Amino acid sequence: MEKIIVCIKGVPKPGTIKVDPETHTLKRESLELILNPNDRAALEMAGRLKNTYNTEVIVISMGPPNVVPLLKHAYALSADQMILLSDKAFAGSDTLATSYVLAKAIKKLSPFSLVLMGLKSIDGETAQVPPETASLLGIPSLTNVKNLFMENNKWIAIREIDYGEEEVEVEPPLVVSISPTAFDYIRPPSLKKLIEVKSKEPLVWQAKDLDLDPQKLGLQGSPTQVVEVSEKKMEAKGIILEGNPEELAEKLLEIFKEKGLIRL
Amino acid sequence: MIKYSLSEEQKILVDLVTQIGEEYIKPYALKWDEEEVFDEKPIRALADADLFGIIIPKEYGGLGWGSFEMCLAVEKLSYYCAGVTTTYAAAFLGSYPIILFGNEEQKKKYLPEIARGKKVCAFALTEPQAGSDAFAIKTIAKKEGDFYILNGMKHFITNGGIADIYIVVAMTDPAKGARGASAFIVEKNDPGFSVGKKEKKLGLRASVTTELFFNDCKIPKDRLLGKEGMGFIVALRTLDFGRCGVGAQALGIAQAAMEISLKHANSRIQFGQPIYNFQAVSHTFAEMAIKLEAARALVYNATKYIDSGAKDITGISSIVKCFTSDVAMWITERAIQMMGGFGYMRDYPVQKYFRDAKCLQIYEGTNEIQRNIIARELIKYYK
Amino acid sequence: MLEKVELENLSKGNIVAYGEIYRGELNTSSLEILSPLKEIGKTLNKKLVLVCLIDSLKDIKNLEEIRKSLADEVWFVINEELKDFREDLYAEVLVKIIESSQPYGFFFPATKIGMSLAPRIAGALNIGLCAHVNSLEVKDNQIVMARPTYGENIIAKLISKSTPVMATISLGAFSIKYGIEEPLMKEIVFPKDFVWKSKLKIRNFTPFKKKPTKLSTAKVIVAGGRGLKNKENFQKLFELAEILGAEVGATRPVCYEGWVEEERMIGISGVIVRPKVYIGFGISGALQHTVGMENSEYIIAINTDKEAPLVKMANLALIGDAEKILDLLLKKLSK
Repeated sequence: MEKIIVCIKGVPKPGTIKVDPETHTLKRESLELILNPNDRAALEMAGRLKNTYNTEVIVISMGPPNVVPLLKHAYALSADQMILLSDKAFAGSDTLATSYVLAKAIKKLSPFSLVLMGLKSIDGETAQVPPETASLLGIPSLTNVKNLFMENNKWIAIREIDYGEEEVEVEPPLVVSISPTAFDYIRPPSLKKLIEVKSKEPLVWQAKDLDLDPQKLGLQGSPTQVVEVSEKKMEAKGIILEGNPEELAEKLLEIFKEKGLIRL
Repeated sequence: MIKYSLSEEQKILVDLVTQIGEEYIKPYALKWDEEEVFDEKPIRALADADLFGIIIPKEYGGLGWGSFEMCLAVEKLSYYCAGVTTTYAAAFLGSYPIILFGNEEQKKKYLPEIARGKKVCAFALTEPQAGSDAFAIKTIAKKEGDFYILNGMKHFITNGGIADIYIVVAMTDPAKGARGASAFIVEKNDPGFSVGKKEKKLGLRASVTTELFFNDCKIPKDRLLGKEGMGFIVALRTLDFGRCGVGAQALGIAQAAMEISLKHANSRIQFGQPIYNFQAVSHTFAEMAIKLEAARALVYNATKYIDSGAKDITGISSIVKCFTSDVAMWITERAIQMMGGFGYMRDYPVQKYFRDAKCLQIYEGTNEIQRNIIARELIKYYK
Repeated sequence: MLEKVELENLSKGNIVAYGEIYRGELNTSSLEILSPLKEIGKTLNKKLVLVCLIDSLKDIKNLEEIRKSLADEVWFVINEELKDFREDLYAEVLVKIIESSQPYGFFFPATKIGMSLAPRIAGALNIGLCAHVNSLEVKDNQIVMARPTYGENIIAKLISKSTPVMATISLGAFSIKYGIEEPLMKEIVFPKDFVWKSKLKIRNFTPFKKKPTKLSTAKVIVAGGRGLKNKENFQKLFELAEILGAEVGATRPVCYEGWVEEERMIGISGVIVRPKVYIGFGISGALQHTVGMENSEYIIAINTDKEAPLVKMANLALIGDAEKILDLLLKKLSK
């Protein structure tokens, strides 16, 4: 089987998000990044496929240099090779600009049989990059996949839609986004590989290594733009009442009557 | 309060164990204890993380580390759940005999799979009439041609039923008494081997403890570990090694108990102030800290000695096991007291630490037996 | 009989919505999204068109819903290759429609199908796509879309510099409204050289066993979380629901604990609700849950923790033990 490529993303640790006041995009460089939790399911799928079919797994990530520890973590989970796609020109990319870069990098790694990604990132939460990247590569995509295996050199995927599950057959190559509920058990990193990767560095590809059209990168290449951000202040917006349970229960009854939920 | 300086690799080990504890154990530990259920997921995670191979030599796929690293892992894991850690640590009792006494074929056959966590081990010595008096075992292993036939039973065996490999000590020559025992590798599918009932325990409830039955259990003769007659040497050397692990387990439990009760004491307001302000309380915590630091220094000092290749480790490992388990029992009991009524409620984990700690004073040789051993070893130095 | 229109003769500059029809049934979220889009269309003086890809008109079970909808026109593409949802072919068909009719905006419901389909189209046409939009308005002749970023409590307002403006619209963000006039229904005729092929083959379909609860349309919801301590307490919510004419909802952890069936889960991986009154007993308000009920008109929270997110977002928060208050409430109501 041709290689498997896993795309991972570094996302801000919850609680540390900062938005650039000018561009209204996330300031990723200064942040403490963690591996996007949904990507672990993708890496788990890669690990299982690797066990079954003995394929090479390459993990790539588009981001600033502070993404490197995450690539190393991914290596310790199930990858054989790490590639960082990093360039100042990539900053401020929306999903289209991101998919553009990823597609170019994936193309450079051809031939491949599968591209795996998490369903969505916990910061942007668009879930758009996998199908968008597939479209730019001109290959099929499947989202919300819960199971994946090969049969007669074709991919068989179980994917979830709002009505139930479908079993889909398609020839490689394929882009798949894995459902976060696909696995009951997801492996931790391997101690041996964590030690091994300490002295390894990922391959770094910049814009110039990927034959990219500068117009399609970063803010410039991002048709969707944030024009305003407002913080949803978690200040108490209503009335907070304290008291003994008896008093509080009475208050509830009052409200129920007011709202017409019960009759007097 | 001392920070132990660790190498880069040791730090990676501790971080990894912490990650596993946080993700695979912490959210479920109380539930497993309450329901007395063995969940294979954390064990699978430890296996996938290469953590069963810590002490297995590199040439057999392990990391080739020693007691020190084993104790680092066990201490950290015990902080999250001593029950899960018992399953983990007991597996070392099964792999260590093979490392020490196995011949090349046996090492090649078993160690790589153990290192990869594909096979879990157990150690079976105790019988209903042979607990502290281990020499009173009655299970017989009779040589018949190219096989040994085992008959008898073991009980109170950790990992019974979930292990793939059992190190079983049986009598090959009852007439020779202590020199008539031999150690064997029994595999779970061997004919005539079966697992009996699962015990209902006071603590360490996430681990499995069962009886084992040998009814004309037929095993090939190449399963003998070492030579005939070496059974108790295998057992005692293994237990010498395992005692530091118990020490580390005691540290983890005591640390967790002290932390939770201390945080409680610092936030529990009674009579207008945190109860930590009252000397009866703060002095108790001071006492906990004293004992815990002493215990920790003892454990890791001993592991360094063991890892240096020292031969006379029996006395020091007994001291470690005896002291630290008593400390853990003291600390967990005081921790419940410091938390008052909350300490008594099963919604809080501190009562679990107390119940878990109790077993450490009993298994791998009761603390009474440990004192016998220490006294006996002591006299060797001061003849 | 549908009026047939050649692909190249489609009217231009419309606001278009994707009508998701699966196994003959229109997903009502496609109707939900017509509500804000109709307003947008009115403001910008553009027609609202619903596009549906099907294999046969007579197999559509709820054609009535389409006839009652707010759409000005409904365009059907009919071909047997469209029987199964196969995103590569569906995307190609919609790309052709977009290239030809150059809509001003093209919108999808944020169903799993919509989320799989829309990005492929955006990629193919190199245009922007906004996800999970829950509010749309026209400002300075531009469509401005708002969406919460769930990771943090930030609301972002976005525009798209490319056309058509594309977005997937959050399920349950809008309610269905009905039109006054029946839409014009047309069938798009594709050129003879269009290749009706997909690389995907759907071998099997297993429908979900669960029947939808009435949770998503309930006007009053009583919901319970971990603060109720155990299953018996949680079950008392059903008594309260009976008295109030409410539906019972739950948070993710209590569903996984087995206190109640998963169909009652409110939140990101469950049901999105928009009741008039929502009462949360012992719910802290983790984001996965609040995202599912934040559009409730009146929120009551009962919790011991003053700092709990649900307490902060509530119209009325009662700081107390949910179990005790529920018991007292039931006692009083039974009198």
